[in-house]
Amino acid sequence: MGFIDENEKERISFVKKWAEYVRTHSDKDWSKQQNVIINSALKSADMTREQFFKMKGETHYV
Amino acid sequence: MKFIDSEHIEINRDLSDLDAFTIDFTTILKKYIDYVIISGYVAIVLGRARASEDVDIIIPRIDFSDFKRLYKNLKENDYYCLNAEDEEIVYSYLEENLAIRFAKIDTIIPNIELKWIKNDFDKIALKKTINVNIKGKQIFISNLELQIAFKEVILKSPKDLEDAQHLRSVAKEYLDHSLIQEYKEKLHGFY
Repeated sequence: MGFIDENEKERISFVKKWAEYVRTHSDKDWSKQQNVIINSALKSADMTREQFFKMKGETHYV
Repeated sequence: MKFIDSEHIEINRDLSDLDAFTIDFTTILKKYIDYVIISGYVAIVLGRARASEDVDIIIPRIDFSDFKRLYKNLKENDYYCLNAEDEEIVYSYLEENLAIRFAKIDTIIPNIELKWIKNDFDKIALKKTINVNIKGKQIFISNLELQIAFKEVILKSPKDLEDAQHLRSVAKEYLDHSLIQEYKEKLHGFY
């Protein structure tokens, strides 16, 4: 098994474990932890409109 | 998280900035037209541990006069369209089946990616929605079976396969597994 396959296998394993955590803990508990990931990612995102459209491969803007 | 029935989920979660943004936008949108949220945010609102820079939303075709009223209301609530400012240009993108994006003034991320329905699967997504109640606020997401099938058959990136796995795991007792398979077979034939 190559590195990418192994890495993806580990990621899927984490996804399953986290989903089980979500299922077995209160919404307040898991969402508090999830919000750290989401809010910090949004805060650190800093790009221009042009950079964003380029990243998305979209060209329909003026 | 409580799966009440196939059309209702209740989540007593703390809102992330992405949740607050999505609820704010869709509260305005639903005054003018039906909508359904699809793709990554469906997994995220149900607990997937990842962020997203945009939220994908499908709407039925809307005529220009209704669109102008929606656009005006969005602008009055500090939204702008990233693609263009002129409402006729923005509307022309929708007519060309292109997505348009809205963000809060002076920001790029997060943004809403809004597009018209363009095929039978979009119609199913709009018809078979799930009403998600988040602390008294409501949003409408696509049925999970269609999202899982689409991510596993069409999109297939690691991120999409992980989203599908999350949905399968978090909602395992509530999913119609034969419906997922049915959608997968239809999608194979369609794309």
